[in-house]
Amino acid sequence: MASNAAVPFWRSAGMTYITYSNICASLVRNCLKEPHKTEAISREKVHFVVSKWADGKPEKPTIRTDQPE
Amino acid sequence: MAMAVLRREGRRFAISPNPIAAVRSSIFPAEEQAPLGVRSISTQIVRNRMKSVKSIQKITKAMKMVAASKLRAIQSKAENSRGLWQPFTALLGDTPSVEVKKDVIVTISSDKGLCGGINSTSVKISKALNKLNAGPDKETKYVILGEKAKAQLIRDSKKDIELNITELQKNPLNYAQVSVIADDILKNVEYDALRVVFNKFQSVVAFLPTVSTVLSPEVVEKESEAGGKLGDLDSYEVEGGETKSEILQNLTEFQFSCVLFNGVLENACSEQGARMSAMDSSSRNAGEMLDRLTLSYNRTRQASITTELIEIISGASALEG
Repeated sequence: MASNAAVPFWRSAGMTYITYSNICASLVRNCLKEPHKTEAISREKVHFVVSKWADGKPEKPTIRTDQPE
Repeated sequence: MAMAVLRREGRRFAISPNPIAAVRSSIFPAEEQAPLGVRSISTQIVRNRMKSVKSIQKITKAMKMVAASKLRAIQSKAENSRGLWQPFTALLGDTPSVEVKKDVIVTISSDKGLCGGINSTSVKISKALNKLNAGPDKETKYVILGEKAKAQLIRDSKKDIELNITELQKNPLNYAQVSVIADDILKNVEYDALRVVFNKFQSVVAFLPTVSTVLSPEVVEKESEAGGKLGDLDSYEVEGGETKSEILQNLTEFQFSCVLFNGVLENACSEQGARMSAMDSSSRNAGEMLDRLTLSYNRTRQASITTELIEIISGASALEG
């Protein structure tokens, strides 16, 4: 369990456990051999639109995507 | 010259026995017109309605097929994802009754309509939760996933909306995406308890509105020390040099992303199921309507034929006699 000592570091960098585990998962996916690699990487596509609300009004939505339009 | 044309035009209008037919001929194809002197009932309207009902039926049938194939793909995913949150419920429990100050209700809905009542159900449950948790020094906020719940909640509780996330289903749903969403929610919203509202998929026609509660690490610690419902958390041994609160924080974050992943999948599954059954019943309705229209169309046609026959026969017999 070498990663145990790392927890305070990534947390102080503003990461949550989710971000941390996603980075780890992406590393593992990249370690796979073809053809499993492309298949696994296709499962980490991210696309959604998020908009914050303030005082009952939506602010400008931001698109979170990892694919070029 | 111009006068001559006008005169000719005027004569034609004067002679034309059926001025309405002349106007109509420009709108409708010529073959639709009855020959002069025949006073039959127009079946045009009924025929047009039959045509439109038929094309609507085709569309709903196609939508049903699409929903069915999407459902198959997503159903296995949803059922597999149940294994993600079950260990968390065994460890941290699902305790909706714990009273906290800052409630965040995560309402999961669909982006598209035509899927029965699943969106209204989750909105209704969210509103009920809001009422249930309302109190003098309490605060309840909404985080809305999907377009449809937003449209419903914007009406009476737009002050409480904190975050709105849409276009989830552009790609097939996957854990990476949902975890990024969960991360965004955790970073942008202050919470003591997150209550995820979604429709749990049971079968193609049955969806259970479900609430999953994720407590913040501080609340979990307080509860387990107070020895309430989470009292046996202390019997677990913590490995490594971390403190319990660190472990709990990691666990809570991961639990939330897992619960959200399962919730999004279950809701997408329910959406497709609901759409399938809604489209099924609407194509059946269109079929029934078409039957009724065909019946009345045929009756009218038969009646006009009968009238014509009677006219011919009575005319002939009048000539003979």
